[in-house]
Order: sequence, then C-alpha cells, then structure tokens
Amino acid sequence: MAANGHSGGGDRPMDTVSGRFSPEAVAELEEIVSHYPDRRGAMLPALWIAQREYGGSLPAEAIKEVAERLGCPPVEVEGVASFYTMYNLGRRGRRHLEVCTCLTCAVLGAADTLRALEEKLGIKVGQTTPDGEFSLAEVECLNWCEAGTVVQVGGRYFGNVTPDKVDALVEQIRQIQDTEAVTQADQIVKVQLARRHDGTADG
Amino acid sequence: MASDLVNITINGTPLQVPAGEMIIESARRIGVEIPHFCYHPRLSKEAGANCRMCLVEVASPRKNPDGSVTLAKMPKPQTSCSLPAGEGMVIETETPAIIEARRGILEFLLINHPLDCPICDRGGECPLQNNTLHYGPPTTRYVEEKRHLPKAFPLSEHVVLDRERCIHCARCTRFAEDIAGDAQLGFLKRGADMEVSVRTGEQFTSLFSGNTIELCPVGALLSRSYRFRGRPWDLMTQKSICTECSNGCNIKLDHRAGRFVRVNARLNEDVNEEWTCDRGKFGMDYLSGPDRLTTPLVRRGNRFEAVGWDEAIRRVAEELGQAGRKSAFLGGIRSSNEDLFVMQRLFREVLGSSDLDHRVGPSFDAEPVIGVGQGQVARAPMSLVELEGLSLFISFGCDMAWEQPMAYLRVRKGWRRGALTIASVARHGTAEDERPSSLAPISAVRVRHDEGGELQVALRLLGEVLRQGGDGTAVPAELAAKAESAVTEQGADAEAVRRLALTLFEAGKGASDGRSVAVWIGEAARTNRQLPDILQTLSAALSAAGVHGVVQVPAMEVNEQGARDLGIAPTWLPGYEQADPAGRNSAEILAAVAQGDIAALWISGLDLATRYSDPAAAVRALESCPFLVVTDLSLTKTAQMADVVLPVTSVAERNGTYTNVEGRVQRFWKAYDPPAGVRQEWRIAAQIAARLGTEIHYASSREVLADIAARVPLYAGCGPDALGDGGVRWASALAGEVGR
Repeated sequence: MAANGHSGGGDRPMDTVSGRFSPEAVAELEEIVSHYPDRRGAMLPALWIAQREYGGSLPAEAIKEVAERLGCPPVEVEGVASFYTMYNLGRRGRRHLEVCTCLTCAVLGAADTLRALEEKLGIKVGQTTPDGEFSLAEVECLNWCEAGTVVQVGGRYFGNVTPDKVDALVEQIRQIQDTEAVTQADQIVKVQLARRHDGTADG
Repeated sequence: MASDLVNITINGTPLQVPAGEMIIESARRIGVEIPHFCYHPRLSKEAGANCRMCLVEVASPRKNPDGSVTLAKMPKPQTSCSLPAGEGMVIETETPAIIEARRGILEFLLINHPLDCPICDRGGECPLQNNTLHYGPPTTRYVEEKRHLPKAFPLSEHVVLDRERCIHCARCTRFAEDIAGDAQLGFLKRGADMEVSVRTGEQFTSLFSGNTIELCPVGALLSRSYRFRGRPWDLMTQKSICTECSNGCNIKLDHRAGRFVRVNARLNEDVNEEWTCDRGKFGMDYLSGPDRLTTPLVRRGNRFEAVGWDEAIRRVAEELGQAGRKSAFLGGIRSSNEDLFVMQRLFREVLGSSDLDHRVGPSFDAEPVIGVGQGQVARAPMSLVELEGLSLFISFGCDMAWEQPMAYLRVRKGWRRGALTIASVARHGTAEDERPSSLAPISAVRVRHDEGGELQVALRLLGEVLRQGGDGTAVPAELAAKAESAVTEQGADAEAVRRLALTLFEAGKGASDGRSVAVWIGEAARTNRQLPDILQTLSAALSAAGVHGVVQVPAMEVNEQGARDLGIAPTWLPGYEQADPAGRNSAEILAAVAQGDIAALWISGLDLATRYSDPAAAVRALESCPFLVVTDLSLTKTAQMADVVLPVTSVAERNGTYTNVEGRVQRFWKAYDPPAGVRQEWRIAAQIAARLGTEIHYASSREVLADIAARVPLYAGCGPDALGDGGVRWASALAGEVGR
C-alpha cells in the first residue's frame, strides 16, 4: 500500500474535531485506538461510544464525528454502522424495546408477545411512538433463552414476557431512568417479570 | 531483472512474468482474456476479488517429504485478479470446472439483476451483458421476486444510480476514493439489502464523478444527460480532444446524425490515462447547442442582418485593409493551432500589426514558465507525467481539480506513492477548502491569506528562504529589504510560510538533478503582476542553493498554450522569437481602442465583455471601437457588440490540432459536417488576406500544420506525420526524446 494510502484526512489534528464526545469519551476512545495498528481499526467500539454519547442512536453528526476521530471517510463509517443491526441509524424512542423472536422465544410465544406490544404501544416493529417515548424492534437471540420471551431495553433484560404481562412491562419500562445503550454484556441487569406458571427455573 | 521473473504456464503456454504479478494480467500478455467485473488495472486491489468472475484453476509445485516435486492442484478455483504469479504455477482458464463456475457466478450475479437491457443505456456496451452472452447460462432458474429499488436515483448533478442493476463490484467506490480523492461512495447495509450509495442525504459532488459511469461494468451508474438519448450501436465515434480546459484530455466524441451526443475518455497514458473530468465530460453539449450561429451577420444600425460569406469577407477585408497597422487581435485561446498560425500571418505579414494578445482577463504578462536555464527549452512547460515524480508541488492560488484536472490527478498519484509533498497557498474560504476534489486536505503545508495577500506571502516566503540559507547574491537589495521586513511583520500565516520554506529546502535535498519542485500559479493569483517576478527571484535564490524548481503559469484554456507557442503575443513571434517591433498587450490594446488609436479589432472565441478582468472597461472600449469583428460559435455578449460576426466550425466539425498545458500538440478529427454557412477560422483569415492581395495558400489543415512544423523550429517535431493519435510534446521532440 502507498505511504499516503488513505485519503480521508487521517492526519487531521484531533483538536479540530467538533462533536458531542465528552472528554471522558474521547479518552476512552483514544485508549481503545491504542490497541489497533491504525485508527480505523477501532471503528466498532468507536460507534458504540458514539451511540452512547448521542443518546442511543447514530445521527449524521455522530457518523461525521466518528469519521473525523478515526480519520476515515464518513461514508465508510455509515457503511459499517448500517451493516450491523445493533447500531441505530434511524430515529428511535428514548426507550427502545428489542424483542427476541429467535428460536426459543418463538417457541415460547414471542410472536404473540410482539403483537401484544405492537397493540399496546400503537406502533409496528421499526416504528417510534409519536411522543418519541417508545420504539420497537425485533432482534435475534439475546442469550437468556431460559427466560423467553426476552425483551431488552437499554441495559436491562426483561424475562418471561407474555401477552398478558405487556401492560405491566410497559409501565415498568416507563419508570426506567437509564435508557443508554449498553456496551458490555456483563453490565446487563436482568429482570424476571414472574416465575413461569409451569414452574421452570428463575433466571 | 531476471531474478524477479517467474516461470508460469497458462493454458499450456509457458511464459515468464514478474513475480507477484496478478495472473489475470499475466494472461493478457499471451492474449488469454479472463472475464471479470471488479478487477481494473488502475484501481486498488484492496476491495477486489469480490465479483468472483475471474476464476481459474491453479496447480503449484509442492515438495514431497522424499524431496521430489509434484504439482499440487488447489482444491477450489482461484480468483485470478488476486492471485500473484509464483514459480512453476500452472493455470488453466478454460476447463469444464471453470466454465461451470463462471456460469454459476453469472447466475448468482443475475439473481437480482433486472435484465432490463432493452431499456438500459448500457445495453450494447455492457460487460455484464457481454460476459453473460459469452459465459453465462442461457436461462435462469430463479423464480422468486427480485429486489426492487427506485430507478434512476440521482447521485449528483450528472450521475444517476440504478441499484437494481448493481453487482457490487466496488469499482466506483475505489475510483472515487483512490483516484479522485473523493471518498463519497460506499456500501451501505448488508446481504441482499446491500447498496452502493452516497451518505444519506448527501450528493456525489466529486469533480470526477463521470468516470464512474464508464467504469461501471453494468448499467447502474448512468449519465443524466445521455440517459435514453441513444443506443451505442447507433452512435458514430470520432477521436477528439476535450475543449473545456488546457489539459487536452483525449476523448471519444460520440455523435449521431450530425449531432454531438456524448464524451467518453480515450486512452492516452501521457495525458489523461483513461479519465475525464466532469467539466469536460458534461461540458461539451455546446457543440450541438441551439444557439449556434450558422451564417455571417453584419450590423445594420442596431440590428444584425444575415449575409453571405462573400459580402462578409469583403466588408472585413475593407475595414482591416483601411486600418492596416491600426488593427489588433485578441483571444484565440479556443482556436486551433492552424487558425492561430494563419491569423498571426494575416496580422503581422498582411496588415503589419504587432498588436496581438491572447492573454486577457486573469492572465498576467508573465513568462509562461520561469525555469532554470535559457533558450527555448526553458520555456517548455513541464509534462503531466513529470508531476508524479516531483518531491514538492506548490499550488499557488490554483484550484487544481477545477483548473487543471488531469494535473490534479497526477499530483494525487505522486502523493499516494508517498514521495510527493503538497503545499497549497490560497485565499481564506476558497472553493477547494469547502468541496471535495481538492489538494487542501492532503497538503502538508497550507498557507491561507486574505484577498490580495499573494504578494505578501511570496515576499515573506522569499524572506524566510533567504534567512534559512537561500542564496541572496542575485536578489536586488530593495527586494531583499522588502522580503526581510515581510518576515518580521505579524501575520496569521507566518508559521505556515516558515514551514513552507523549510519544506522547500527539505524537498531540494533529496533531488540532485533537474526539477524537483514545481510551483503552479492559478487563476486566483494571476491578478497580481508583481508575483511572477518575486517568484522568479525566489526560484533563483533556491536554485543557487541547490533546490531546483519550476515556476509555471499553466495555460487554462484549450489552446492557450498553442497561442503562446505560436506568438499570439505582442512581444514574441511563433516559437518565442522576439517580435520587432513589439506590439501592445491586451490592456494597452483596449486603452488604445478607447482612445481611437485602433481602428479595427478582431476578437476570436472569447467573450471579452464578460471574461475581462474589468468587464465594464471592456464594454466601454468595445462600444467605442470603430470596427469590431468577432469569430465565435454563438452570439456572445461580445459578439452582440460586433460590426461583423463570423461563425466558425467547432472541434467536431474539422481536423486540426491543439497544444495542451504540457506543450503537447494533439490532433482532433472531423466527426461530422459543419452547419452550412460556417467556415474554419484559418480559411476566413486566408480569404481576407487574398482579398487584400496577399496569397496565404493552404489546401488543408494538414498543410497548415506542415508549414508550422517547417517554419517554427519549436514545432519542428510536431508535423502532421509525427503526431499519431497521442500527440507529441514539442519539448520532448526538441530534446530528442522518442514517444513522449
């Protein structure tokens, strides 16, 4: 590869980057970047940080900021962000409900639960309520199969969700203060709604 | 070097190729064509091997435990565009397995392809269509719904995208990022939803976007202006030269029924390689513009009357004959060399006037090239290829991508290789700081100044260079003092100028021979007439200290260089022979017109009334001109003020030559007949001379060029038989170099 191989302005001094990264977030990113041979290698963690700093989604400014901080073209950052489903490019609610409809949850009635949630919130999967409070998404396995159907909201898992518990679930979610995106699996708080009536184990 | 060669066998033919060469390229050496889509020799291989079309079977020698060597066949077909040649490789490109694999790949590529060839612009010249015909399955087994996306999504002013047709080869994204330097295209989403795109809500604003249309191996990227305007098999193609700037890109001019249709790039390794810029690719529809003049016009009171050529020529000859020495010529920067040569003969030999100038508007009186050494060769502009090998390129008020698109690509190419440093001097808030296709983001040193600050920057730079070891012996004391005081002044760009001076010495160190540094002065800096003198002094001071460079005022219009070379100038004759007596320059000519000292003015191919640096002054002068004759394609503002307007042929309607920014004389060929009532400019000039009693007789453009080659030593190597398709740089011909 040519010595000046990249054209996206990778040499751009960091102090010219404007955006919403807090000093702590910048420090966090720089620490991560130090583990990679080049800055763009840190694209995925950088997008996670950006999603957190921008309140749970990646608007155009977030893409631009990541591009500038990593010294690569914004279109490449958007390409990566749109490749993975766990980055949110579109508008989403302050409380983003991700409903697992993968195998185990599906067997345990995830489709009905999802339909009940759609009815309760008045939106379809992929939409956001008009007040911007809730958005709904269908996701693959969340790795808590013994408590299916599982719904993830930010840093929390709700287990054993069934159509009849949807009202209570939504109320409980309304009370959540922390709606930030999670960055690490071990930070997830698991909330069992109730023991299943057939007596299977508590999560 | 023999040690770098390896022996391989392709389809039973043994051959030697450089180690590491991709097999697809090796196969070409012996005429074996391997079908492909994503591979392109000029694009990076980084995202390559993704179309999977170029599969081949490979066997490599393997050493057995007992020391014997056997051929081991790779278990799967390999992509030949990403397979480096190694010693002893045996490659097969036409085995049953490969034929089957290609059919499979094509069936895959066509799964979501709409097969709407009958309404696709690319149909008839489409690699996907051609390869499917040669290598593909005759039918599809796919019965499911194909993906549907909006047709003709506008990517930019010039390019539309049909994502249904895209096969995700990444040619366009690689071109935009690597060659043009505008990483605006990328792939969004994944799997079946993957699409090539600009960023959401943005546009493909690169100045080189049109190239992606030609690179696209399917009909996904299309020209908005050519869309649904023709089928390739209905078009005629002629070799031509782009007229939109001085770089002289070789183009294929496509036309139908006597009308211009579109421009495609024509390969010339020394000029444009296989690229064009958007200015040229989309800027030539004026050729079939509705406002083309088709008959001479003569003013009667305040309106024009269409007249025959006899009357028009008689009238112009009378007026010029009466004016004699008091006639003057301006422009000519869009005329061919043949036009210019005959025109200057008319003025100099027949009318006895030396008042000719091609430099109007933003071009100062400077020597075009301020170089090392003396004599004609020192006047030679540098070659485009030479730009790639520089150690330092300084853009001085030059919006490179816009003004000098192919030079921009060469500089970028040199920078990508890693040996070329770029510095840019420009006003605050210039276009290239805002838009893509710019050297600014890749410049190691950026000097930004306020409007009119060029001189200050140049003085400060001279001061810094003298301080840091430049040789000041030849610098006039007054200038040295000015430079010294400029260094001590406050200024926001002081640090940047200091770094620029350091960079200059740094660049000079490595290069022991010739030109290692080039300064190109662009349009924005040309208003300052003292600038070239200071830069010349600077160049001398650096040269004496071992840093050799060229300060160049590159031509900007299609034949501005030809006008220079052929003496459309008051102080020099064709070939830069000194003119005696010297005439007046454009500013002086206009002043003389206003004072009534010039009785007849001829303006050629130039809208002086809008292009002159002070348009109002130009209009005043033209209004007071006793007799104004204008030769042009259409009725410009200047032509509207004329007494006689003579319509001339366009580049598509005749044979001729232009000289590009590097002094390369290049031929263009007649594509179709001109409108009736339109004549070649040199023929008009010759007819006027004949009417005034002097025979300037040539039967054809070819004869004019032969005469130029015979009479102008500079062009001795550029006669009609020497030019070929790719043209000849006069400087190379003089230096005895062959082929360039």
